[in-house]
Amino acid sequence: MILCVDPDPAALAATRDALADAGYDIATAGTLADARDVLDESDGVTLDALVTEYELPEGTGLDIVRAVREHAPDAACVLFTSTPVESIDTAAFGDVVADYLTKEEVDAREELCDVLEQTLAFRSQTAYPLPDDEDARLAALGRYARDPVALDGSLDRLTEIATALFDLDAAAVGLVDAHEQRFLSCHGVSMGTIDREETVCTYAMLDDDVTVIEDVAADARFEANEGLRALGIAFYASASLVTPDGQTIGTFCVYDDEPRSFDARERELLALLADEAMEQLDLRRRLDDDGGEHDA
Amino acid sequence: MRDGAYDFEDLPLADVDPGSSILLAGSPHSGARTLALRMLAGTADEGTIVVTTNRRAGRLAGDCERAGIEMETERTAIIDCVGGEDPDLSARVMPVSGPSDLTGIGMRFSDVNRSFQRAGVEGVRTGICSLSTLLSFGELQPVSRFVHTLVGRIDSVDGLGVFLIDPSMHDDRTISTLSQFCTGRIDVRETEGGAELRARGLPEQSREWAAFDPTLR
Repeated sequence: MILCVDPDPAALAATRDALADAGYDIATAGTLADARDVLDESDGVTLDALVTEYELPEGTGLDIVRAVREHAPDAACVLFTSTPVESIDTAAFGDVVADYLTKEEVDAREELCDVLEQTLAFRSQTAYPLPDDEDARLAALGRYARDPVALDGSLDRLTEIATALFDLDAAAVGLVDAHEQRFLSCHGVSMGTIDREETVCTYAMLDDDVTVIEDVAADARFEANEGLRALGIAFYASASLVTPDGQTIGTFCVYDDEPRSFDARERELLALLADEAMEQLDLRRRLDDDGGEHDA
Repeated sequence: MRDGAYDFEDLPLADVDPGSSILLAGSPHSGARTLALRMLAGTADEGTIVVTTNRRAGRLAGDCERAGIEMETERTAIIDCVGGEDPDLSARVMPVSGPSDLTGIGMRFSDVNRSFQRAGVEGVRTGICSLSTLLSFGELQPVSRFVHTLVGRIDSVDGLGVFLIDPSMHDDRTISTLSQFCTGRIDVRETEGGAELRARGLPEQSREWAAFDPTLR
């Protein structure tokens, strides 16, 4: 879904129509408060992009960009505005990052569609690097763990074994979706779905080998990450879950509430646990596929 | 838009494909900054945008000219995070409130880049001098989003991006995270024989260290 915000009803309608013609689902708002309502009520729908005027009643488009960065951090944000760039006061919004496109040119809406197409195709407003073949990776991910309940405790046994084996607080098996990480098993820690830019696994899955971060708080990528601190994650290690065709769909990770080291043998064992978890996921996928064939 | 690759006069670098962004890593005295500016010097039908984070626009403009960048308002812009009074410059100068204003830098880049495209400029070379200043005023995560967004815009208009960084100021993970947004990386080092560069991750480049002249004209 794309959220369009413009206080001028005619301009809002023109932008909405141009984007709808390009095939996007659109929600519209004329004020800051309306825009916030759309965000609050959009549960279950992914907000892909925000297109907003700058001058709004009771605020600016940058206030909405900030709200969107909290609600759907990966969304493409574009100020599409009649205000010249030098008149936009970004000083208090320096960290939100958004694109700028003037509404004044005759082909402005055509250009807006081009900018959105490019930004959405390459997801280029994420705060984290993406794997080279992200589209193929997501396609592979879609074939796994479609019914987590059917895994029937097999991953829970592995995460419990991992915590005892390494004498650590917690272990988890998580899948990294397009915008979030979701967990198939957690032992010693309770985690719901977490925004991708907030999780260590987002970065770890780009490593070829086992990732070990002995002191999470000392790593520039996570030093400001309050979520990790709240979960008591001071040490992190993970091995990737790699499908038989080579796509990394998630991680087998272990945590502790104090920084510590992780030796070569422990790394080997963690990689074995990840392989075992992946095997369970793959067996389940093959059972599902066979079941599907019999039904058909 | 642009047909051919970007070339680099008098530098030991092969041509680089349009749409590429390069992390240029070197300490302040290694000649990396001079190399960045010389990589931004193109032909008369190309444009140049330089973001200056720690040198005043007037001084940067002088360095740009000595690096071979021609200063013309229709195709040369300086996005200035430093401020201060500068004499009239022949480049377009766009002030930003400061190096923590990533949003302001990015929006000015989008706007001036588009105006150059409309004016018929054949390819824009963009330099950030430097990411290290942006990282000293902001956290890695917003700087990452800023770099990713800029790399995406540069790719979409077949431009060339050069992101200067001083690796001695940051840990390896910061450098590797930022390099993952870029097409490739060029490292610069000082040796007894002078300045050397080495490219990685860019097609057709030598994998060996090569000497270059780190002085401005």
